[in-house]
Amino acid sequence: MLGRIVYFLCLPSVLAAQLCKPNAAEGFKVRLSIKTALGDKAYEWNRNQRFLFQAAIAFAMSHHLDLEFNVSNVLVCDETPRVSFWFVVTSPGDPSRLVGKESVELAVRESRDRINNVLLLNDATLEFVGVLPTLVAPVKPATPPWLIVFGVVIGIVGAGIVFLLVSTVVQKKRKEKEVAEEEEDDEEAQMKRTARNEGIYNTSFSEDDRNTQM
Amino acid sequence: MAKDARENWESPMQFVMACVSYAVGLGNVWRFPYLCQMHGGGGFLIPYLLMLLLEGVPLFYLELAIGQKMRLGSIGAWTAISPYLGGLGLASVVTSMYLCLYYNIINAWSFWYLFHSFQSVLPWAACPVNSNRTGPIEECEKATPTQYFFYRETLNVSPSIEKNGGIHTGQALCFLLAWVITYLFIIRGVKSTGKVVYFTATFPYVVLLIYLIRGMTLHGALNGVKYMFTPKMEELANPTTWINAATQIFFSLGLGFGSLIAFASYNQYHNNFEWQAIIVSLINSGTSIFASIVTFAIYGFKATINYENCLERTRILLLNSFNLAEDSIIINNVFEMIEKLNTTFPEQLAELSNKLEDCNLENELSTAVEGTGLAFIVYSEAIKNMPLSQLWSVLYFFMLLMLGMGSMLGNITAITTPLQDFKFLSRISNEALNGFVCILCLLLGLGFTTRSGNYWFTMFNDYGATFSLLLIVLIEVITVSYIYGIKRFEKDIEDMLGHRPNWFWKIMWGGISPLLLITLFLFYVINYIQGGTPTYQAWNKDLVSLYFYSSCLRWGFSFCCLYYSAS
Repeated sequence: MLGRIVYFLCLPSVLAAQLCKPNAAEGFKVRLSIKTALGDKAYEWNRNQRFLFQAAIAFAMSHHLDLEFNVSNVLVCDETPRVSFWFVVTSPGDPSRLVGKESVELAVRESRDRINNVLLLNDATLEFVGVLPTLVAPVKPATPPWLIVFGVVIGIVGAGIVFLLVSTVVQKKRKEKEVAEEEEDDEEAQMKRTARNEGIYNTSFSEDDRNTQM
Repeated sequence: MAKDARENWESPMQFVMACVSYAVGLGNVWRFPYLCQMHGGGGFLIPYLLMLLLEGVPLFYLELAIGQKMRLGSIGAWTAISPYLGGLGLASVVTSMYLCLYYNIINAWSFWYLFHSFQSVLPWAACPVNSNRTGPIEECEKATPTQYFFYRETLNVSPSIEKNGGIHTGQALCFLLAWVITYLFIIRGVKSTGKVVYFTATFPYVVLLIYLIRGMTLHGALNGVKYMFTPKMEELANPTTWINAATQIFFSLGLGFGSLIAFASYNQYHNNFEWQAIIVSLINSGTSIFASIVTFAIYGFKATINYENCLERTRILLLNSFNLAEDSIIINNVFEMIEKLNTTFPEQLAELSNKLEDCNLENELSTAVEGTGLAFIVYSEAIKNMPLSQLWSVLYFFMLLMLGMGSMLGNITAITTPLQDFKFLSRISNEALNGFVCILCLLLGLGFTTRSGNYWFTMFNDYGATFSLLLIVLIEVITVSYIYGIKRFEKDIEDMLGHRPNWFWKIMWGGISPLLLITLFLFYVINYIQGGTPTYQAWNKDLVSLYFYSSCLRWGFSFCCLYYSAS
């Protein structure tokens, strides 16, 4: 009788030891880099931190499969000084049966953010070996920002060119008008001056040809 | 209304600024540091400065004298010297045309990078995420984010020169902008160019100074500068060092394009171009040296960062494989730990040997890069690691733009000035003629914005102008010394400056410079004949590396030969 009691008492831990082992088929290896992430504020990995991890995984499984998982359903083994270990998840209904690898992966991916935050780590420092991270979708603005800057610059340059061309044309027109007026004014101004001085302007000596013809 | 009086620079300072802006270009930033590194660091300065004295300044002086005396662009000036030499001027114009076609694409790339710097995270800082959001895009992961950004997002490069692909719209827009701005700068000839060059000549120095201060304070910068300045005197025994020094001086000063003749033709007749020639040449060389200090500080920083990243990756690999506690290995004792692990767990370490990288600072420093690879990949990689990277990025690409635009101004002026000298074209206004040249170059240059455009650019850059420039300047110097006659040339200079040129100049023009040029020319011819089919580097999307490709260059090459023989 006592033997049987001892047998049944030891069974869960023996089962646990058999269910959770390195390179288990349904298990995942986890690696934590606490000192890299937190530096001076790094906490020591001990039984309580492990409990927190188990609780987080239990939460992720419950959230994903909508079943009630307990901390005792998450088995952890093969801890190393690196702070890496293997874990497996047992089904809440039948503790000797393991939950499939794909379900665990999906659950972890879904709640990755929450698990990271609970342990004060991130995707790089809390590594689930084999689970691909879900990266943030890139923010795509409606107009790429470079196009906006381009538009502004080419608008200013275009305006500059138009301004310069227009001012050249305007200047040319003004110069042509001035020259035409100057040529007319020459004769008229002289005639006016002589009339003012009460003289008679002798047009036979007007300045049509500056040089005498040879 | 005929244009009877030739336009002039508003002051001699504008002319000097224009020459500085033209001569100081991208080559000073991306070619000289490479040569310095390849040919023994500080020791390279000896052949460089010697060639400046023997070849650079005399030829510069010569071109300025011709331009100022004849007061015509290159075609008119050489025709005036001897009616049979009009072809020389024409060759200069055609070479300038070649350059104008492809040079503005670099400005287009600078604009692209400049506009993309106005983002909270620089696009070349990290790899973009792939379609199912599980990780970065494969091509980007195999290469580096900066390489991916340049080859895939900027160029969208095709695997070889035969595969044209379509026009990259973003590139085409930036190319259009580059030409529109060029037109704005030259719209009124020297009146507008003269004002612009104040800015394009001085702004790069401001940025270089800021970068020098920033660069020197970067972590690991001194490694790079020390590496550069440690002279390796044995390189001086290598003839390639001297050839490269001569070539660099020659191309850096921009001789033979006709730009210097064009600029000098707008001078007052009695402008003292002698001291201007010396000053501009010295400024050009000084800028090369200054820029290489900055570049090597940046190299040192980048090499140190890469080295430390390599050490970090090795450390993580060791920690994960051997399940050791995190603080047992730190960056400083990575190598000691490898030794220790070799003695305690040799088989396990042997298993890792193909994943373990060889981290070596010397190797990182000795990867010398030149050309667009340096300007757009190496520098952007260094910039993304600096704090406030957007600011540094904007400053840097704006500086590249100023350097490139300044050189473009000279090259475009080398085309428009001789054209304006022709009687039948003088009826068309300045603005219309300049606009026509710009539009023509824009349309012809659109080929460089296609997906294979980078390969065409490389072909033009490496093989387009080298030969013809050497030949042009050689004939120039021989013409002036022997056909026109040194005595007549002396008298012209005396007429302009008031004193005859020193005996030093006469020896250079008559003897040393032509000999140097003939040597260079022969060297290039021999190299071409021995080199076989010319090759170019193509980007392979799957291997994610550059590999040599040598097919279609042949027909492009024969085209080049045809035009050389025609001019």
